[in-house]
Amino acid sequence: MKLVIVGCGRVGAMAAVALSKDGHQVTVIDINRRAFDRLGPDFNGEMVLGNGIDEDVLRQAGIETADGFACLTNGDNRNIMAAQIAREIFKVPRVITRIYDPMRQDVYTELGLDTVCPTLSGARQIHTMLKG
Amino acid sequence: MSQPMYVIVIGGGKVGYYLSKHLQDRGYEVTLIEKDPRRAEVLNSVLGEIVMVGDGDEMAFLATTGMERADVVVAVTGDDEDNLVACQLAKRKFNVPKTVARVNNPANVRIFKTLGVDVALSATEVLLDLIESELASKEAAGRSATKP
Repeated sequence: MKLVIVGCGRVGAMAAVALSKDGHQVTVIDINRRAFDRLGPDFNGEMVLGNGIDEDVLRQAGIETADGFACLTNGDNRNIMAAQIAREIFKVPRVITRIYDPMRQDVYTELGLDTVCPTLSGARQIHTMLKG
Repeated sequence: MSQPMYVIVIGGGKVGYYLSKHLQDRGYEVTLIEKDPRRAEVLNSVLGEIVMVGDGDEMAFLATTGMERADVVVAVTGDDEDNLVACQLAKRKFNVPKTVARVNNPANVRIFKTLGVDVALSATEVLLDLIESELASKEAAGRSATKP
């Protein structure tokens, strides 16, 4: 599959490396060139320097033919906007968005985005572990 | 007399400041939302207590601004993603009838409209159009002047 990931932080880089190891064609977008250092030597996908909410940058990353798109920057709104561009403008079949704010996650899940909320899943896990 | 229109302005930069000031002068009820407490203090001292400190994209905070009774929400921060999300939350969660966004990247005007923002305005695009029509009319004038 052809996959585009926006945000090369810890999660983005780890997902990119794992997916490319699985044989997928992965392109990672980040506004900071040094973020690509996280990918390490094993990554054999592509890197695009730029803003993930910029249509031209997304095109350069091959969004028009992508099968999947994940938004993993550290800004909820940037992720939400990039995800909607991917879904509504470029009609990417599978779009995943990370949203830290549980209330915003609620709103955009209602609007049809596939979302992951690390705040909720983290809190739940800690809750369970503390209860023993 | 009917109630004055209630306008919520998000982003207290230069655009947000002048917009709020002129809306007030014209008799509208205005709330200006600004993230930075220090900037908000300055704005409050010049505009009279209409500024609320908070994040225009934080649902819990927005609920305290009386957004559900707003007639118009205008998002004019310097970040397109923040303006988009503020307008979408206003529309979908608070049923605000009209949302207006400032757009920094002209290419986002079309995207904002597709994603449900009522009015998306890019100063860059307006300036570009003005310059182009100015050039076009000059060229036309030049052509007619050289005609025998």
